[in-house]
Amino acid sequence: MNIFVFLLLGLGIGYLLRRKGKRVSLEVPTNAALVLMIFFLGVKTGEVKVDALWLLGSSLLFAVLTVLGSMVVALGVSK
Amino acid sequence: MRILYFVLISLIAGVLVGYFLHPDFGNTYEIMLDVLILLIGVDLGMSINSKEIKRLGKKSLVLPLETLVGSIVGGTIGAVILGTDLKWGLAIGAGCGWYSITGPLIAKYSAVYGAIGFLGNLMREILTIILYPIVIRWVPKEKAVVMGGATTMDTTLPVITKFGGREAGLVAFVHGFILTAIVPFIVPIILAL
Repeated sequence: MNIFVFLLLGLGIGYLLRRKGKRVSLEVPTNAALVLMIFFLGVKTGEVKVDALWLLGSSLLFAVLTVLGSMVVALGVSK
Repeated sequence: MRILYFVLISLIAGVLVGYFLHPDFGNTYEIMLDVLILLIGVDLGMSINSKEIKRLGKKSLVLPLETLVGSIVGGTIGAVILGTDLKWGLAIGAGCGWYSITGPLIAKYSAVYGAIGFLGNLMREILTIILYPIVIRWVPKEKAVVMGGATTMDTTLPVITKFGGREAGLVAFVHGFILTAIVPFIVPIILAL
């Protein structure tokens, strides 16, 4: 639920900035935070102990098929 | 596109550091995520208006259902290919990328499939981060949001907003929000079948 607190806080700050007519460029801080977050996600992934290639292969199979399934349904159901 | 290379290098570097060094970064990942969400909120707050949100309406409600159905179908096909009980495939698919809840929920019934539920959904998140910027060359940006499942509300939202734009970011947030509300109910129901 933390996510909502930060999102709503950001929306509030952004709204206030807009009302004051100030436009702040967030490109650099957003990119920096994104790269750092992905790094730490990688660290978490690297720490996962996998004792069998089957486990990895099966997980990858499910990952690919669930992504593909969602894409096919989304593209097929509504234009 | 330069940021994509930084993201990929960052991910690979992180995996190598995690695998070989096992550092304890505490909750740094969560802090960075909160910072990102705050920055995204500020950016959205500076640019969105009520007309834009109204325009998203129906599209934002239909997409999560399509994601869930497609994901469950994908999980079922995976179970058939691996020759395992369909229940595991259904549950892993219904996780919609939310690895931190899907893995532990399935692990209550099977440690092995709990691990697959965790890793498979984690990989879905990583695939979305890597592939979303590429897939949107051929697929509409708002539709491609389905790749991320429930993660489009938080972890994959920065990538979607960065490469898909603010409107795709808004669709992604509502999409992820609805799935986040559904997944904790659907996965246990499937496991109890």
